[in-house]
Amino acid sequence: MRGQMTHLDTDVLAEFRAGLITGRRGAKISAHLASCDRCTALDDRLAGVSVLLASVPAPPMPDRVAQRLDTVLAAEAANRNDPERAGKGSSRKATTPGRPTARRGFRLPSPRVLAPVAAAVVALAAGGYGLSLIGGGSTSSMQAASGTAPSASSSAAASAAKGAAEPAASARSQFKSSSQTVDVTPGTLRQYVEAELRLPRAERPTQPASSLVRGCVQRVAGTAPLELVQSALFEGQPTTIIVARTGQDYTAWVAGLDCSATNRDVLYLTTVPSGISGP
Amino acid sequence: MPSADGDGPSDHELLRRHVAGDSDAFGELFRRHRDRLWAVALRTVCDPDEAADALQDAMVSAFRRAADFRGESAVTTWLHRIVVNASLDRLRRRAARPALSAGDEQAFEALVAQDGDPARAADTRLDVDAALRILPPQQRAALVVVDMLGFSVADAAAILATSPGTVKSRCARARARLLPYVAHLQGNRSASQSVSPAQGGDP
Repeated sequence: MRGQMTHLDTDVLAEFRAGLITGRRGAKISAHLASCDRCTALDDRLAGVSVLLASVPAPPMPDRVAQRLDTVLAAEAANRNDPERAGKGSSRKATTPGRPTARRGFRLPSPRVLAPVAAAVVALAAGGYGLSLIGGGSTSSMQAASGTAPSASSSAAASAAKGAAEPAASARSQFKSSSQTVDVTPGTLRQYVEAELRLPRAERPTQPASSLVRGCVQRVAGTAPLELVQSALFEGQPTTIIVARTGQDYTAWVAGLDCSATNRDVLYLTTVPSGISGP
Repeated sequence: MPSADGDGPSDHELLRRHVAGDSDAFGELFRRHRDRLWAVALRTVCDPDEAADALQDAMVSAFRRAADFRGESAVTTWLHRIVVNASLDRLRRRAARPALSAGDEQAFEALVAQDGDPARAADTRLDVDAALRILPPQQRAALVVVDMLGFSVADAAAILATSPGTVKSRCARARARLLPYVAHLQGNRSASQSVSPAQGGDP
């Protein structure tokens, strides 16, 4: 053969193309490519991989995901901007209103645009966001560095929960409407789940109401141990709240009516720290 | 890569307003980049549901950590980095589950076998997305960021929190590994405009 070397393998060529092989070895590869049709063809096909990948259009974000993210970010914004009112309407002694707001330097008035979410979120604001600055500081920064914000804030929620003085059962009742339907929002979901988890497991509903819901639970939670399966209103929409133990934490999913074994219709999810569970 | 352009405030300005307390600024920043952020999450975790969860983790994290952004990179680079982190984190958590695991070539073969309809073979995006699953997550993330989203190696290194050499190396290995699975698509790139509901839309 003319190139005075055996044919190049794909890995070597890929490294050469990426500029990882230089110097004498690089020069030998260049010389071989100049004289070997077979390796040149392989080189072309390798170049074609990048061209092919670049030609694939980016999939647009599905509307359902966009709506969910908008809800989440609106809840974050309301939560951040309105910690002052957080103590009102919440029976938690641990939620000292106003204390940690200095982080942002100043506060804006209540965001009117976010009113539907804001009204619901204020109850959790000091317990979740505020306390994260007191109790969860170091944890937050560490976990934030790896991009896992929900658990960062939830360590703070744990300290809030430990400070809660009222009996768990009455905490649970505050999330029920007059018709005894559980009625939660992005802002109150975690508080509701914490209240449920303080109850003994036997006092919590964990049986799916129908085979459709059972399929949904399996689709959403997989084999994670179930802690709660509860039909509830979420922002006025009928949903199922599913809570399962996921590693160190609990995850709470809010599943829509379309959720089934084959359709993971999750409207919202949040992480709740362990360490607050009842007996 | 794209940052702020044309009309409206720059990405940096939106982030600055957000840190200063503007309750709409972060949402606007997110909407501006959401399709690309979605693409990187979807292609890194290879599952629309997991991608939605990862993106939620990432955006909540970015919302709360915005004050930590020092402006050393473009805002998009910073956002992509958080999304890639959250996506790889999801994959690590999913690794324990007996689902389709990353780097599993048998799973890919099974997937291709299910997909025996020759009409679907023209759907380049589905095939590329399926082929990406055979890659280990770190290689896949590098390839998605560099070859699919078009970031420079330097920006990709910032996004992936590694050195440019490692980015090149991961991309090189990924391209070599992918070649046998996508070689049949290379003459067929015009088909890539077709949309695959299995990956792009609601399940």
